[in-house]
Amino acid sequence: MSLEMMVGIKWVPNTQNVRFDPKTGTLIREGVPSIVNPADLDAVELALKVKDTYGGRVRVITMAPPSAVKGIEHVIGMGVDAGVLVTDRVFAGADTLATSYVLSQAIKKLGLPDLLFFGQETIDSSTAHIPAQVASWLDLPYVYYVDRVEEVNREEGYAVVRRKLEDRYEWVRVELPAVIAAALKSQVPRPVRLSEKLRFHRDKPLQTLTNKDLGLDPRCVGLRGSPTIVAKVTWMPEVPRKRQVFKGDAREAARWLVKKLAEEGILVREDGRWRVRVA
Amino acid sequence: MGQSAEFDAIVVGAGPAGATAAYHLAKRGFNVLLVERGRGAGSKQVFGGRIYAEPLREVFDDLDKAPIHRWVRRERFTILDGDRELTLDFRAGASTSFTAYLTQFTQWIAQKAVDAGAVLADEVRVDGLWLDGGRVRGIVAGPDRVAARVVIVAEGVNRLLLERAGFVHRASPRELALGVKEVIKLDKKTIEERFGLEEGEGLAWVLLGEVTDFIPGGAFVYTNRDTLSVGLVVHLGGAYQLLRDQVHVLAERLRTHPRLSRFFEGGDIMEYSAHMTIEDSVGYMPEHFAYDGMVIVGDAAGLLLNTGLTIRGVDYAAYSGYLAAKGVERALSEGDASAEALRRHYEVPLRESFIYRDLMRHRGASYAMKNPRMFREYPRVALDTLEEIYTLGRETPLPHEALARALSRNRVGFAEFALRMLKVVMSL
Ligand SMILES: Cc1cc2nc3c(=O)[nH]c(=O)nc-3n(C[C@H](O)[C@H](O)[C@H](O)COP(=O)(O)OP(=O)(O)OC[C@H]3O[C@@H](n4cnc5c(N)ncnc54)[C@H](O)[C@@H]3O)c2cc1C
Ligand SMILES: Cc1cc2nc3c(=O)[nH]c(=O)nc-3n(C[C@H](O)[C@H](O)[C@H](O)COP(=O)(O)OP(=O)(O)OC[C@H]3O[C@@H](n4cnc5c(N)ncnc54)[C@H](O)[C@@H]3O)c2cc1C
Repeated sequence: MSLEMMVGIKWVPNTQNVRFDPKTGTLIREGVPSIVNPADLDAVELALKVKDTYGGRVRVITMAPPSAVKGIEHVIGMGVDAGVLVTDRVFAGADTLATSYVLSQAIKKLGLPDLLFFGQETIDSSTAHIPAQVASWLDLPYVYYVDRVEEVNREEGYAVVRRKLEDRYEWVRVELPAVIAAALKSQVPRPVRLSEKLRFHRDKPLQTLTNKDLGLDPRCVGLRGSPTIVAKVTWMPEVPRKRQVFKGDAREAARWLVKKLAEEGILVREDGRWRVRVA
Repeated sequence: MGQSAEFDAIVVGAGPAGATAAYHLAKRGFNVLLVERGRGAGSKQVFGGRIYAEPLREVFDDLDKAPIHRWVRRERFTILDGDRELTLDFRAGASTSFTAYLTQFTQWIAQKAVDAGAVLADEVRVDGLWLDGGRVRGIVAGPDRVAARVVIVAEGVNRLLLERAGFVHRASPRELALGVKEVIKLDKKTIEERFGLEEGEGLAWVLLGEVTDFIPGGAFVYTNRDTLSVGLVVHLGGAYQLLRDQVHVLAERLRTHPRLSRFFEGGDIMEYSAHMTIEDSVGYMPEHFAYDGMVIVGDAAGLLLNTGLTIRGVDYAAYSGYLAAKGVERALSEGDASAEALRRHYEVPLRESFIYRDLMRHRGASYAMKNPRMFREYPRVALDTLEEIYTLGRETPLPHEALARALSRNRVGFAEFALRMLKVVMSL
């Protein structure tokens, strides 16, 4: 059997276009198109690179409303072999616990892949819970911040991956099957190809799973299965910039800056030294 | 080289022209691929505009189901200069045009194409026409080549494919204008109150003079359901570079103009976009609208009429797409996609249509409109004349005295003025 890979992707509102309504404190989602969570494209690219080297099959899975098919089409356009849409009314309103539960059960049902990829975090929630939670539901090893898959040895059941940390790289040998989260912005996702798009339209490599297929306890999924309560959402008010520009040499600029910051009350003089005022 | 698939027709560009061509071919049972570089059809269209309905009734039998915002009944024309303003306000007896978001309108057409069986491949940029001894055999996109019996080029005004393949010359700045548009959100009621509109009624407003810095061109305001499309179109002439950097300043000035800002007050700017448009349609047209294995539709074919008071591009685009679909159907059913067959079945009907005839008829007027004096001196003559007539001291001038003084103040000869005005009036 050849190498099996799966990538979790999330269909998210393009928050770069979402604006906040300061009066109501809610997101203005009107007319905002959804996209594949950008970090997930890193994961897709990482998986496709493994496929470039070792062959095998890459599938994506997403728990989402049916409109996410457009996102699956996008990654299939990049070269992913097939997509799985996990969708059901009872899955709606899920927090990360319920989402990861459904995802892990769907993945189990489909058959555990050798490598299960995720993005680092999403642009609309950024919890970074899902990969770790899926790994623990499935009792699999989990490596994150991965920017390169160095080696995959299916016969001996291991992979070597590189983790990109702030100041160093770390190489990890991990047992297969393994869950891997791609480091944010670590890849350049390949462009969509016309021939792959045509394959999508011709072959419709798409599978839908509902709770009829999964048979999960309704108390463990969706809103009912979500213990998290969002108590309050607020936003960071934008601080109007003063846009002052100083032209001169660095020494003078530093003096000028200190003076300005002191005038603003940001720097305070204590015992003959400048200190940042603690609010 | 990637795999290749055979299509009856490949349409490049899912704007109104391409989407319509794809729809009508798919509806007639052809195997159609519609390729669009943007995310979804219509995503690259400049938001908000006014579309003329009559030609579209022949193209879409369910036009009333289209995402129409308001039927335009009010036409307004204004000349602005300092704190002087001349406005002509006209309420038509019936409406023949509607406002819409071009994006939504194009998506509506593309959805019909998909429902009729066309394959829409978005997020794919076509890099070139696949040429085989002068005959167009298909398209090239990245490493992939896909063959088709006919390629319909609907790439819009920025026609790189046609240029690269040598079918058209590189556009000169004289043939083009630059348009910018902002979409400003206001609620429905406020729009109707501010512009004096009945419920659901639309306004199209053209402004000249100071608002375009007296650069040839005009500004416009269209009322959508709960937004305004506000923008301007400036002829590029020689000043291309200058304008490219300046045009957003002009848009800002329009929005904050002391005589206009009250219309936009409190509105949020939802979109800003800039896009090229055709100024000299006849100069911009390709020599032919059909070649071996290829037809050209919409803006790419130079089919846009900007009279200064009205602009027609979307209905022309859709109608030409419709004519192309009918022509391609005939040619393919004869099993002949040669230039000759495609010209017989598409180019000839296009040249006989209202589109081509009007473009030719308006050619002279378009030259008249290009005179920079049209945008500075002549508007001022009108304002000065009115000022003479209305701003009375002791003396009450006769109308011709008022006009004569206004002419001499603006250094415009009477004969020149009379001739120009005659030309413009005749062209309307
Ligand atoms: C407190 C809270 C309450 C919420 N309530 C709701 C709610 O009521 N309704 C609602 O719709 N959503 C709700 N959400 C959002 C939703 O449950 C989470 O977004 C989702 O569980 C994933 O979490 P995340 O976006 O933080 O993903 P992260 O954990 O940041 O995502 C990491 C990676 O996991 C993968 N991934 C994430 N989500 C999916 C998915 N759905 N399918 C496949 N792969 C995925 C992607 O590869 C992604 O890059 C809530 C989130 C929070 C934090
Ligand atoms: C500021 C402004 C205001 C306007 N206002 C009006 C108005 O009020 N009323 C009116 O009728 N007209 C108006 N027009 C003109 C109108 O927008 C055009 O005439 C019309 O959109 C032309 O349609 P089209 O389908 O030929 O081209 P386009 O609408 O330009 O569509 C071309 C499509 O092809 C795609 N494409 C291009 N190259 C490639 C490629 N290589 N591969 C894949 N896809 C490609 C593009 O992404 C685009 O979606 C306005 C234009 C401007 C600039």
